[in-house]
Amino acid sequence: MTEFANPMTYVVEGVLVFFILWKILSARRGRDLFIRRIPGLSVLDEAVGRATEMGRPMLYVPGLGGLDIVGLQAMSIMSHIIKRAANYSTRVIVPLCDPVLYTVAEEVAKDSYSTAGVPEMYISDDIRYLTNQQFAWASGVVGIQHREKVATAFYFGWFAAEALILAENGQMVGAIQVAGTPSIIQIPFFLAACDYTIIGDEYYAASAYLSREPTLLGSLVGQDYCKILMMGIVLLGVIGVTLAGVKSHWLPLQHVLQHVNYVFNECFLKYFARSS
Amino acid sequence: MHAFLLNLKHLLFPAAVHGWHLWVYIAGAIVVGIGALFALMSVPPRYRKIVVVIITFLGGLYFSLEFLLPHGGHNPVAGFANDLTHAKPSVADAALIIGSFTLLLGTSNLFQIHGKAVRKKTAGWGNSLAFFISFFLILIVGFLKDAYTPTGNAPMGAKGTVYTEIFSVLFNGFVQNLDAAMFSLVAFYIVSAAYRAFRVKSAEAGFMMVTAAIVMLGLVPVGALLTNWLPHTGPLASLRLERMTLWILTWPNMAVQRAIEFGLSVGYLAMSLRIWLSLERGSFFDRQL
Repeated sequence: MTEFANPMTYVVEGVLVFFILWKILSARRGRDLFIRRIPGLSVLDEAVGRATEMGRPMLYVPGLGGLDIVGLQAMSIMSHIIKRAANYSTRVIVPLCDPVLYTVAEEVAKDSYSTAGVPEMYISDDIRYLTNQQFAWASGVVGIQHREKVATAFYFGWFAAEALILAENGQMVGAIQVAGTPSIIQIPFFLAACDYTIIGDEYYAASAYLSREPTLLGSLVGQDYCKILMMGIVLLGVIGVTLAGVKSHWLPLQHVLQHVNYVFNECFLKYFARSS
Repeated sequence: MHAFLLNLKHLLFPAAVHGWHLWVYIAGAIVVGIGALFALMSVPPRYRKIVVVIITFLGGLYFSLEFLLPHGGHNPVAGFANDLTHAKPSVADAALIIGSFTLLLGTSNLFQIHGKAVRKKTAGWGNSLAFFISFFLILIVGFLKDAYTPTGNAPMGAKGTVYTEIFSVLFNGFVQNLDAAMFSLVAFYIVSAAYRAFRVKSAEAGFMMVTAAIVMLGLVPVGALLTNWLPHTGPLASLRLERMTLWILTWPNMAVQRAIEFGLSVGYLAMSLRIWLSLERGSFFDRQL
């Protein structure tokens, strides 16, 4: 049996999957679901409006990632941004690092302009494949920022050390900047250099927030249920491990602690054994 | 039946292929690929989506089972899981081949953009010309280097050695150094970003600045020197800068990072599930194929 696929993995993952599917189905049946305000995404119209007023293009940077879950989410957000930009006839430039994602981005951009009713606005040169070398790509993006004097820059996707280079150059050209990445190490850099940063799982909530599509909203609420479950597991773990460390010289309390520890260990802790 | 399946497995996933067999396999793969493409294109659009849904589901099922099913041992489940794992390189190769095709599309996009810039002599067309020169230079030298690989005792100046040297100058001398130069800029950008971030505009910003100051001082020798007068043991030892730094990084910082990671992994799971079961909506997922 591998380290990760112990019986508890099946149980916890099964419950998480159940919560997500359950809420998706209930949302599809027409349940009204609440989603809190995410400032980084609410500012989208303001950012598009600013670029329109200034008559300058916008930059959408989907990061270094390829065609994976992070990349697909980046494409999904890009689709919403292009549709809004298309309404104001504002150009969106998309520099790409991964050739597979480039082909998908082209299709998404064409599709988004068509959905917005302006297929003629699609310019093939605006969806650009630069290179798959990290820093060569970064210098290419920086070049576009300075040459095109972009009014707005969006960074949504997987980023590494080049994150700060891009965000600081965006700052230099005076662009309003919105960023979101699942790369935890890069979040502080974006927080320091961008006007708005969406943190953590807000990245995956973006498409639900922007589209208000019932399936995506349901999935989002299911995710919240999953997080509550995980918080519960963590809390129980903390209580169990803490009690195991409590010692008492008072005999009755010793007996109580012994029983509590036994119950915790047999019913809970032994199923979440540390892998090391 | 078992023997038939075993033969089929060896036919589809042979250990090694040499000689004319290799050409047969290549030709077979091309014919099957083109055939599959034509078959998919000839399916009516509403059924085409069903085909994509089925392939997506089977692909997701393969990787889930490969990861979740227990390996090792001699029971049928473990045997099945082991077979799935053995097929993994072939599945990875398929993904690599598709990726290689898209690299051609990416290159054609580069040619299109820079070709237009050179033709129309737009601003900065010299950069586009530099792109073509460097692209073809490294491409030709790279091919020649591989075509005339020098032997171990080849004399200096031999054909192979010269191409290897030129390639080395182009790659190690230019590409790698330019990469390093770009990376080194991060150090300067960190200073300017930190300067803006640490301006005390609110209580939160002030709190962050104090924390950052403690962490920065705790990581350099001068920080340890500043609180060196405090004892190494006892309650006051916790106020030593290096201890405070370690505590901040190990406890509050790590707790927040893990909380974010939990949220991210749940989001990742939800999106994977939606794509696997074709429940995803928005952008290209809704459109008619």
